[in-house]
Parts: sequence; C-alpha cells; structure tokens
Amino acid sequence: MSYKIPMGPYHPALEEPYKLDLICEGETVIDSKLHIGFNFRGIEHLAETRNHIQDIALMERVCGICSFIHTLTFCRAMEGLTNQTPPPRAQYIRVIMAELERLHSHVLWAGIAAKLMGFKTMFMTCFELREKVMDILAAISGNRVNYSMNRIGGVNRDITDPASILKMVEALELEMARTVIPIFTTSRTATSRCAGIGVLTTEKALSCGVVGPVARASGLPQDLRKAAPYAAYAEMDFDVPVQPAGDVTARLLVRALEIMESCKILRQALAKLPPGEIHTEGEKFIFTTGTATARVEAPRGEVMYSVSWKEGSRNPARVHVRTPTFAVMPAIRWMVKGARLADTPLIQASIDPCYSCTDR
Amino acid sequence: MTPLESISEKLGITEPWIEKGGVHWLTLGAAKVRELAKAMNELHARFITITAYQLPKDEGFRLEYHWDLDGQLLGFNFQLAAHSIDSIYDLCEATDWIEREIHEEYSLDFQGREYEPLLLRQGDTTGVNLRDAVATR
Repeated sequence: MSYKIPMGPYHPALEEPYKLDLICEGETVIDSKLHIGFNFRGIEHLAETRNHIQDIALMERVCGICSFIHTLTFCRAMEGLTNQTPPPRAQYIRVIMAELERLHSHVLWAGIAAKLMGFKTMFMTCFELREKVMDILAAISGNRVNYSMNRIGGVNRDITDPASILKMVEALELEMARTVIPIFTTSRTATSRCAGIGVLTTEKALSCGVVGPVARASGLPQDLRKAAPYAAYAEMDFDVPVQPAGDVTARLLVRALEIMESCKILRQALAKLPPGEIHTEGEKFIFTTGTATARVEAPRGEVMYSVSWKEGSRNPARVHVRTPTFAVMPAIRWMVKGARLADTPLIQASIDPCYSCTDR
Repeated sequence: MTPLESISEKLGITEPWIEKGGVHWLTLGAAKVRELAKAMNELHARFITITAYQLPKDEGFRLEYHWDLDGQLLGFNFQLAAHSIDSIYDLCEATDWIEREIHEEYSLDFQGREYEPLLLRQGDTTGVNLRDAVATR
C-alpha cells in the first residue's frame, strides 16, 4: 500500500520553502511531486517598471549567493543593446569576482551537505573556509553579499591588492587538498551517505535539461566558460571536472574539484590582471530597439537573461531570467525515485537548490 | 552539412539563419513547434527556456524558444495568432515548468498537456497578467 508524505513548504530538512509530496511504499519513495512558487516575487515584471540603474540593483536580488553572476549576465545583455565593450581590466575583475563567488557558493554547499550527513565538524571546517572567501569579497566590494560590482561597460570597483587574494587562494587550496577532499571521498560517514544515492543518469540529465555541477556529475561535460567563453575566460587554462556516476558522491566530487579549478583560474587572472580602465566612459547609454541574450556559468549552472528594449524608453520592455535551479529542480523527481525516505533531504540538497532564484 | 543547415532541412525552411548578438535565429510558424522539438532531440541539443512576450494592444504574443547546441545558442521565434501553441512537453520534458509558468502568468495554452499549478498566483489563478498587476499597483 502506498501513502503520501508531504515535505514542506516549511520543514526542518528544507532551507527555504518549497513542497515535495513523496509517494512511498514502506520506506521507499516510488514517486514524487514538486511544488514551487510559495515566495514568487514577480521580479521579471517588476524590472519593466524600473530604469537600467534600478534594474541592476533589482537583479542583484534574484539570488542571495550568486548576486554577482546575475548582474554580470544582466549587464552583458544590456552591453549588447548599448554597444559597449568593457575594457580588459574589467573583464579580468569579472572573472575574479565570478570565481570568488563560485568558491563561496561551493564551500557553503559543502558545509550544508556535511550538516545533512550528520558530519558537524566538517560543517564547521567548510564555514571557516567560506569566511576567508567572504572576507576577500568584502575587501574588494565593501559588501559580503550584494556586491554592486557590475555596471554597463565594466565594473564599479578596482582590485588594488591582488596579493591578499592570492594568499587566501593558497590557504583554501591547501585546506581543500589536505582536509575536505580526502575526508569527503574516504570517510565512512560521507561515503555511506552519498555513494549510489540519488542517481540521475546521463540520458535523464540530458532530457531534463539540467545544468552546472549536476549535469557534469551525470557525465555531461557542459560548461559555458569553455563552450561559449565570456569576460576573460578564453585566456584561462582550466579543466571541467566530469563524473559519470550521477549520484550524490559524484555531485560532491565535481564541486570539490571545481573549487580547485577556480583556485587555478584565480591564480592566472590575478597574475595577468592587465592595467587600465575598469569601465567605459560616460554614464548615459543609448539603448537600441531589440532583444539581447546573455549566458553565464553560475556556481549552480547556466544563467540566461533575455532583455528586450525599445529605443527611447527608460525601462526594458521585457526581462526574462532562466536560473539554474529552475532547470535542475524538476530532476529531483527522478533522483528520489527508489530512494530511502531518510535520504531524500540529502538528495535534494545535492543539487544545491536555490529557491530564491526559482521564485524570482 | 552544418547542424544549422540540417535543422533547416528537417523543418523544410528555406529562409536563412540570422546571427545576432551571439544567437542564431530562425522564425517559424507555430505549427512547426513539435517538428522543431523532434529535430532538436535528434541533434541532442539541450533545451534552455521559452520567453513569452506580450505584444502591444491586441497583437497577441510572441514566444522565443532557446536550445544550446554544443555551446551555440539557437533561438526560434513564434508569432502566435491565438493564445495557444502545441505543447512539446511530451517530446522534451525540460519544458515542463516553463510551459506551466507561462500558462499561469499569461494564460497561454500549451495544447495537449495537463497542468499542475506552480502556485505563482494565490488560489491557483491563471490568466492574471502579472505585468498588468504590477502596473496598476
């Protein structure tokens, strides 16, 4: 006999509100239904009532963790409509900020995953590492979360002390290689909770259109930084970690290896940071009529913005935001199928869901 | 034959692709949407999203479908004469949530599928245009 267990929208296992109705037979999940939209904010439509400066601040609030990525994607789309090309130094600063944000996001996720595994000491270690990244982000931008770094044609703040970032990168790399990766891959607590759990096959990953680390952990080698490079990524040498297993361990490994790759990118970007201006001249922009699209590889995967403008208008005619979690979250249905009920919180967490992005 | 030429051939389209801002565009009639989904499946292209545009006055809607083909961004324009278009959910399950979202926001009907509410609107109301709701506040 099957029975339904509603999980959420307010539940200790969920960080933010969404609802998962789990259809179970005994302790085994045989199907599930997801419900979102509990905090839907209508940001896309709100953007149509704001000018471009107000909209940058608005888009920064789509996500609390990838706030830089959202304004970067939005500004890249608007740069297409205003025919602006950011100077080389701004492109490098964008890479540095994007990779710092990836580090912050991945280390935060590793901490939360450790907590859900019942591995509290690892949670503390990850959050201590995360603080080092947050300190650097705050030192560059003056803020810990919404950095106000992007503008049309470049960035608002320069990086004046690359050496201090390098010091943090070295400390992070050392701790990841010495503690986090070995423990996550060899400790019995971690492997017994993650291996073979929440599997998403390569075929299912492709048909669901999943993105980012979830796709790469299911054997799909997709990463916009390589496939369609933006900012200064074409000048960076790095690898795209891919794992074929599609389980929680694979997602954990992909993110851990991506932390090391981000450190590699940061070293290169800091070493090659070119001199010069950090944004184009002028504050007034002439928007041409049309639609511009921009894509960026956020920590959780591809973010895409479509921005439509009519010449002479103060506000955009339309802004559409496709966030990574919106693409990945429907695949949870397939990941929890056949799983033990007790594993479902960790499986859900393994996609690093952002409900703020989803309820944009 | 390039992948873009093969898509045109599968769809029986003679108009050229237009490259603009890094996106390769093709304008299609709404009747072609399911053929398009099948062609994208054959090429193992990754579905990204659908963007709905409400046109001025009573001109209806325009939909933009996006797929990624090995890093190439493809865009397909559909001008809707009526408030409906065939659903491609059965061919491409990645379209599930975005079809439901557009249905709830604009009351556009994706024919041939059932909807479960995404709860974007209180009381599961569909067809209440969010743009108009924001503008009148």
